[in-house]
Amino acid sequence: MPASAADRDALLPAIAAGDMRAFAVWLRDAEPRVRSSLARFARAVDTEAVLQEALLRIWQVAGRVQLDGRGDTLVRLAVQIAHNLAIDHVRRDRRLAPTERAQLESMPFEIDDSPPPDPLLRALIVDCIEKLPKQPSAALHARLENAGFDPDETLANRLGMQLNTFLKNFGRARSLLLDCLRGRGVSLPLNARQPGGL
Amino acid sequence: MDDEALIEQLLSAHRERDAHGAIQWAPAFYDLSPEARETAFAALLLQRALEAGRDNEGLSTTARAILGRIAG
Repeated sequence: MPASAADRDALLPAIAAGDMRAFAVWLRDAEPRVRSSLARFARAVDTEAVLQEALLRIWQVAGRVQLDGRGDTLVRLAVQIAHNLAIDHVRRDRRLAPTERAQLESMPFEIDDSPPPDPLLRALIVDCIEKLPKQPSAALHARLENAGFDPDETLANRLGMQLNTFLKNFGRARSLLLDCLRGRGVSLPLNARQPGGL
Repeated sequence: MDDEALIEQLLSAHRERDAHGAIQWAPAFYDLSPEARETAFAALLLQRALEAGRDNEGLSTTARAILGRIAG
């Protein structure tokens, strides 16, 4: 399981050759790093959309990328692409004050180099999910199993819930899950940086 | 829809595509204040960490959505 920048760089030839399994392994490590680098844009940009666009572009351009010896070449490229996309949106957003726009454009960015969560955490998360009440569990599983393929309206309809009820149940599932994990002594937020409160 | 529901909607990995395949922003994003968007981002970090932590390959719904997109 790659955990270092060198391990992730070693995946580049396979990704460039179109190996989706290699790309999945790289995504596992890269996604949280690229996502956390977008924290400063969260007020002005749909970071999920920008992140997905940047990661898809990595898949498209990997065949033309050369390792530069600085380590984590693809992650740094993904962060750069994501930031360029975010800054493009910020420049076009006339609702932002010029000072705020300039500040967002000029701030330096860092790559989160914290280690991934402990693999033993999986057993605790699974156990806590199994203890969720029926409706929150159904909403959570619907999203997990669908993996972003369908909109929430479709998922809610399949469960026989109103959209608002589905969303409340989804939020309740996360809240109960976090309470359960805290009760088991898990330190939150699982390496995730939090720019704001919950 | 209140902010709480809009934030939960923003946490979905689902994003519509336009006619050219470009990823569209979630409609809920436009209905939230900048402060609520930051709250949503914090929840998103936790949500994806939980998803990846629960997945046997360590992949979040974002990663799975991207792989699904590539696989067509």
